[in-house]
Amino acid sequence: MPVIQRLFVANRGEIAVRIVRACQRLGIEAVVAVSDVDRNSLAARLATRAVCIGPAAASQSYLRAETLVAAALGSGCQAVHPGYGFLSERPAFARMCEDAGLLFVGPRAQSIEAMGEKLAAVHIAEQAGVPRVPGSDRIETIEDARRAAERIGFPLLIKANAGGGGRGMRLVHEARDLAGAIESAASEARAAFGDPMLYIEKFISLARHVEVQVLGDGKGDVVHLGERDCSTQRRYQKLIEEAPSPVIAERVRRQMTDAAVSLAAQVAYRGAGTVEFVYDPESQKFYFLEMNTRIQVEHPVTEMVTGRDLVVEQIQIAAGEPISFVQKDVELHGHAIECRINAENPARNFMPCPGRIEVWDPPPTGDRLRVDTHCYPGYVVPPHYDSLLAKLIVHSPDRSSAIRSMSEALAGFAVSGVATTIPFHRTVLAHGDFRSAAIHTRWVDQEFLPAMTAATSAAEPPQTQAAV
Amino acid sequence: MELSHDDVKKILEIVDASEHLQEIELVYGGFRLHVRRGGPGIAASSEERPASLPSSKPAAPVSTQAFPAKQPVEAPLAEGEIAIRAPMLGTFYRSPAPGDPPFVEIGKRVRADDTVCLIEVMKLFSSINAGVDGVVTRIPVENGTMVEFGQMLIVIATSP
Repeated sequence: MPVIQRLFVANRGEIAVRIVRACQRLGIEAVVAVSDVDRNSLAARLATRAVCIGPAAASQSYLRAETLVAAALGSGCQAVHPGYGFLSERPAFARMCEDAGLLFVGPRAQSIEAMGEKLAAVHIAEQAGVPRVPGSDRIETIEDARRAAERIGFPLLIKANAGGGGRGMRLVHEARDLAGAIESAASEARAAFGDPMLYIEKFISLARHVEVQVLGDGKGDVVHLGERDCSTQRRYQKLIEEAPSPVIAERVRRQMTDAAVSLAAQVAYRGAGTVEFVYDPESQKFYFLEMNTRIQVEHPVTEMVTGRDLVVEQIQIAAGEPISFVQKDVELHGHAIECRINAENPARNFMPCPGRIEVWDPPPTGDRLRVDTHCYPGYVVPPHYDSLLAKLIVHSPDRSSAIRSMSEALAGFAVSGVATTIPFHRTVLAHGDFRSAAIHTRWVDQEFLPAMTAATSAAEPPQTQAAV
Repeated sequence: MELSHDDVKKILEIVDASEHLQEIELVYGGFRLHVRRGGPGIAASSEERPASLPSSKPAAPVSTQAFPAKQPVEAPLAEGEIAIRAPMLGTFYRSPAPGDPPFVEIGKRVRADDTVCLIEVMKLFSSINAGVDGVVTRIPVENGTMVEFGQMLIVIATSP
């Protein structure tokens, strides 16, 4: 008898749909947790059953660990898949599941805990021989910060030890701004994570974000599935991801994937994980940033180039099965790009736009084009959660044809009722800097968007004249 | 591939309308519907099984009986009836402790601040009050089972 016959999906949106589909592939029943506003969600309709766990507010539904565990037990599930976000990287939730006799589809609680504390993760990386960005240990006083800054040099980044998502992060260019930045970062970190602990790292300008996908069986066996390049970001939020990275040489790729595997093996990592690096194209050096202990939003680009189903692997590993392939069987084919279609208005500073979707007509999917989504015509995007509507993924023999297919796919994606990031993606993909892979993680904020704004205001007559 | 509640209703109507049909068993994917005519009224039972199990095998221990994979179906309220709904997901208990008599029975008159049941989440018990004065007409949930957020627990006919 299979270990997992029924699996509880403790998440919503497109990833809940993705997990239900993986269950269907495995012949497992899926029970989906839904908040009051998600009762009729696509995941709920595709699943064997939906269980309403609470009102719309995430703090009273998707973030309630006790309720989710009770719902999983009460609906007869043997395993819990946390998806990404929400409780996916809370060690207490993983522990609570295992204490209740539920298999947690993810790493052991202590691995999540170790990687969640950024400095602890940096130390594990160092032990595994993975280079870190030149940086400090814990910063407890302004004096600590001054000493570290003197050694590291400016510009530097202040980061939160409990951090993530850019919160508690400050870029400091000069010594006189240091004390103020430390204070505001500490209070932001305390508010966001309940922990004001900070550390400092050298800021690598014109850097790219490159990350390695790994899978571990929890017994020491670890494989990697190549890297993803997620350098197209706005305010530290990824918008476009691709695989492989267009800028790293084969030699660097080998070093980087080796580093990721040895880091994961160091903790006998279990499940899917991502080791993130900052890559400096000028020196061709990479540095450990952090490890994410969950499935990532951008996992489909890896699935496209490797032909492997990462969510299926996650569930099988949780059931105690070995990884279904070995390293030498991992082959990378072609180039994949993913665009995140968010309900945000790029013309209005990416303001979130919840509301009713009237027209929802994605381009036809197939082997070369994939759409991961929970949306349909008439779907109401609730204001309570993140604004991700869909992930559009293309796969082509090479990067330039992938850019071409993505541009066509975006042009053929009709949505009305809510504003989306589709127009933003179309302009980025048409930009020479993106096409020549000359961008860096601050490119959208510092170069692309300011130039767009300037072009728009030059094209429109000034308000005063229009009013006359 | 999936049978909706309406589909099942239609099948039952067809069976009901045909005079010669005594019993049918319908297997559709992971779904089994067994309808038998005769005895006291019509007995209908249906269950969902994991698609991977062959139809002759009984359901796995951790499966359909104790933990239905079905959505709870609600009967509509009559005029003057009010439903007490679960303010949280948890386990529904009709009595203060195992072996104790239930807080309420069908036909019992309750006052707004009377406790009518308990809901437990991870050993934390919450008392649920009637909220209105009236008479208990229905208790559509079985003692000790999981209830969802917003699920109908107890129906009360309010006094005119």
